[in-house]
Amino acid sequence: MARRMSRRRFMVLATNVAGAGITLLIAAPIVGEVLQPIFTRRAHPWVRVGDITQVPVGLPTAYVVQMPTTQAWKVPPVARIVYVVKLNVGSAVQVLPLSNVCTHMQCDVHWDQNLQQFLCPCHGGLYSITGVNVGGPPPRPLFRYRHKLVGETLYVRDQLTEA
Amino acid sequence: MSVEPRRSKLVARLTHPVARPLASVYRWVDERMGISDLVYKALYEAVPRRGAWTYTLGSVTLIIIALQIVTGMFLLWSYVPSTTEAWLSLNYLAHHNEFGAIVRGMHLWGAYVLLLVIGLHMVRTFVSGSYKKPRELNWITGVILFLLVLALGITGAMLPWDQAAFWTTVVTTHVLSYVPLLGHWLQEVWRGGNQVGPVTLTRTFAIHIWLLPALLVPLIGLHIYLLRRHGEHGSWVNYRNDPEESERERADRVLRAEPPYPAVPSDPAYSVPDDLDEFFPSQVGKDAIVSFVAVLIIFVMAVVVGSPLEAPANAASLTYVPTPEWFFLPLDQLLVQFPQAWMIPVGVFIIPGLASTLLIMVPFLDRSPDREPWKRPQLMVPALFTLLFLIFEALLGVNRLFNL
Amino acid sequence: MPAVLSIAPHLVPVGVSTAVATALVGLLMLTHIQFAAFQQGGAMLAALFDFLGMVRRDERQTRFARGMLKTMALAFTIGSALAIFAVMILFTGLWSHFWVKLLRILFWPLVVEAGAFVLEIIALYTLYVGWDRLGRVRPLRVGLELVLVIDLFVQMLMINFVASYMLTPRPAFDLPLILLNPTLLPLEVHRLIGNVAFAGALVALVAGWRMLRARTPAQRAYADWMGAIGAVTAISFTALQPLVGWEYAKEVQLHAYASWYDMMLGGLSVAFLFQMFLLGLILTAGIFFFWRRVRTSGFRSPTLALCAVLSLGAWLLGATPSSLAWTYEQVFAANANVPIWNGGLLIPFGQMIPWKLTALVAFTFVSITAVTVFLREVSRGHLRWGEARRSQAVALITMGVAVSLIMALMGFIRENARGPFLITNQMLINQQQNFVPPSSAGPAQAGAAAGANLVLGGP
Ligand code: HEM
Ligand code: HEM
Ligand code: FES
Repeated sequence: MARRMSRRRFMVLATNVAGAGITLLIAAPIVGEVLQPIFTRRAHPWVRVGDITQVPVGLPTAYVVQMPTTQAWKVPPVARIVYVVKLNVGSAVQVLPLSNVCTHMQCDVHWDQNLQQFLCPCHGGLYSITGVNVGGPPPRPLFRYRHKLVGETLYVRDQLTEA
Repeated sequence: MSVEPRRSKLVARLTHPVARPLASVYRWVDERMGISDLVYKALYEAVPRRGAWTYTLGSVTLIIIALQIVTGMFLLWSYVPSTTEAWLSLNYLAHHNEFGAIVRGMHLWGAYVLLLVIGLHMVRTFVSGSYKKPRELNWITGVILFLLVLALGITGAMLPWDQAAFWTTVVTTHVLSYVPLLGHWLQEVWRGGNQVGPVTLTRTFAIHIWLLPALLVPLIGLHIYLLRRHGEHGSWVNYRNDPEESERERADRVLRAEPPYPAVPSDPAYSVPDDLDEFFPSQVGKDAIVSFVAVLIIFVMAVVVGSPLEAPANAASLTYVPTPEWFFLPLDQLLVQFPQAWMIPVGVFIIPGLASTLLIMVPFLDRSPDREPWKRPQLMVPALFTLLFLIFEALLGVNRLFNL
Repeated sequence: MPAVLSIAPHLVPVGVSTAVATALVGLLMLTHIQFAAFQQGGAMLAALFDFLGMVRRDERQTRFARGMLKTMALAFTIGSALAIFAVMILFTGLWSHFWVKLLRILFWPLVVEAGAFVLEIIALYTLYVGWDRLGRVRPLRVGLELVLVIDLFVQMLMINFVASYMLTPRPAFDLPLILLNPTLLPLEVHRLIGNVAFAGALVALVAGWRMLRARTPAQRAYADWMGAIGAVTAISFTALQPLVGWEYAKEVQLHAYASWYDMMLGGLSVAFLFQMFLLGLILTAGIFFFWRRVRTSGFRSPTLALCAVLSLGAWLLGATPSSLAWTYEQVFAANANVPIWNGGLLIPFGQMIPWKLTALVAFTFVSITAVTVFLREVSRGHLRWGEARRSQAVALITMGVAVSLIMALMGFIRENARGPFLITNQMLINQQQNFVPPSSAGPAQAGAAAGANLVLGGP
């Protein structure tokens, strides 16, 4: 009797262990596949914005920039907007390359000439000319790209670039 | 209520218009598979007689989900889930495959009508108190089904990869990043990177056509199994709750009702409706009529209005105004009302999460035996206020987008 | 500046000063609004109760519907006479410039409004005269009441097109945009809910009065029941108002900043504080009624008692001016050393967030809870009608009077918030009397003088 019981128990145990094994063997690679994007390293190449000689001081100007995206496989670059803002700081002119991605839910913000502010059409977020969030839902200022000027040609890198 | 004559009548009905040889084929198959038994089990059942038209809503939901699955299957004959080709494939459908465009239109309008009908089904079961013992799990599976259908609606809206779809994707996936601690990772998992891109589309696609339906279909099975187990409750109009009725009379009624009413009666007085009718053809006929009207509306809207395809996705647009799908307007309005920092997670997670939890908890919040809505104001009144709130939020959303 | 403004000057002055004209029209309109609001809310209650009386064969409910309709018919004669007087004499005589402009821009809504008025006369008097005869075909009578409800809804929508246009007009002539302007929706919802609450409060007021004067048990029972109906209606609908009003103010802030500033932080903020006081009074009185009424019938409800306490707390929180100044510096900072009419104590509403907001949210939830619990007690059959005490009748009367006051106050605030404009940024009040052909600079300067931010919604 005792032997039969233990045999039964062994089969129950075997069922459980085998079942867990099957689940694990199937699940492990799936979890890996799904989570893979978290572990991907991204390079941040410099991207050319363009010649900014013509940008007037105090008027944010939108540049359409071809951002390379090779998220998983090669696809054509994606057009994004970089707002180039020139401001007088003392006697010098400061250049701010601002992302136009709203920090609330990532809609495209645009410069509103009447308001003299960046306006987000999604939920009415407002940013000052320097990109500081001054009204509506956005929790943070607009992202400022790291940038370099080669002569009058502006290059940016970071955040919106993936490779 | 003897079974035999009915069964033969059923066989006759099923084979009547068909030539005799077919009848013998049917009998051959029936002997081996027991089709008649199954059909008999499925069709012959007692249902409450009064208020039957409002009990059609569940079946209409079922029919429209079937419609979604079939039209979805055939959309796959044209649709390509790729950022470069999704829009092109649907544009092709619109201009070179008129019937395909109608299929697409039916999938879209099917989703819209489905959300309306499922909402009505929910209101109906809520008002009639159908969630009470022993039917708590009917309600709970129902709420999960409702959430799944909402998820199908929003993931579906991301697939055409036009401007509307693209910005819906951006906003919806970014909502995840507000989950405390894990948010950023969750968002990367769905997007397949930190930006919306090709992997985002394939993942959303897989969720829409496989993951969610694979959860939805078995759960519908469970929902209907539970319905069959306890029998259709109907609503208070069917329950006399007569204190004069003797044990014997009640037992008589219980026995007269074919399966399944005697199962786990919560309260003897309520276990069986006073007035019963046959599921087939009385209830099935009504179900069919209302379903036909719903599908006709879907068809007509698909032909007349169709499914719009905006300009292709463009991440660099300064004039496009993203608008949420109408059934997400109240949630979008919450995004406006809960601005900045810690308020955002309150608006997108805590409030909707609390609302969903309360919805699931409904059977446990009201455990009184009362069926009449006016006898349980403790749920009806808050529910009414919640409904008014949702409508007001949606109206505010429309007002905001209109007057941007 | 749209061309419609250039109306022949000889149509305008009558030689009455702007102040007198404003006071006359204001008084008349505030009175008219009370009647009109009662019409709309009353029609809904009448239709609902006649319907309920029909399906549930409840004589009391039918009697209530009948009483309501008869009162409405009487009120209508006065209310409509006031409206006709306002339109025919005061608007055309004192405010012709404004009136002609409105007619030209909002011609169709006003035509529909007039049509709805005619239909209202027909439906209301048919019901008044033929109540018993129509009673033989009950569904027909309920149907006619439904027609009246829809008609009054349309009528109010049309008037709200006008009122919201005056506050947040569109600069260009584009009828759909003019009609569906930013404040239309909040105003419509705010008024719709407010009107039902108002009708409920009047029911409660009358019921309270009858309770005090009732002689027979039957009279007492009916008055008691009616008071409960009125209080439940008034409190449950008023409970929605904080949210709707908040959204309304939000739209005003976005689209007519000067008016918003005036209401919340400027000269009218005192009136707004009084409004907060009345709101607290209404809800506290109503909840007090619920609590004591249940207690009178012999049932203790700790939830209702808690609701009453919380409501009292929220009332105190909401109706306290933010700048309670003790030291001279504080007094100076709060402008409290200057009389109110000279701009003193200008910011009692400065602490909207978080204190007054907390009070508003508390009002909403506490009232909904109280209504729910009270109805639960009623549905359990715990209340025996006719037991209400004097203090409960007084609570109902207080609530009714407070709702009536708050209606008048809100009308007053709305009409004055636009100053110095009659139509925000488009027409000045004093253009009525001393006609100056408008130049594009005129209103903008006036707005700047009033400290207005004219960026949004400016011409
Ligand atoms: C995929 C969606 C759904 C399908 C296909 C479905 C299907 C059905 C069907 C066919 C019935 C029986 C007929 C009827 O009473 O209308 C039913 C009953 C019921 N459903 Fe659903 N349903 C769905 C979603 C929901 C939801 C969202 C809820 C509530 C949250 C819900 C709660 C119930 C309850 C409580 C019953 C029992 C009604 C009674 O016995 O009187 N269902 N459902
Ligand atoms: C309850 C079930 C479902 C709902 C509510 C739903 C909803 C939607 C919605 C709203 C869209 C967007 C349509 C548009 O913008 O034109 C969509 C697209 C799509 N759905 Fe579904 N869907 C459901 C089930 C399915 C199933 C089961 C499949 C596949 C077997 C499927 C395949 C597709 C495909 C391929 C598209 C992209 C084509 C297009 O955008 O028209 N759907 N779905
Ligand atoms: S996405 Fe910009 S405000 Fe919400």
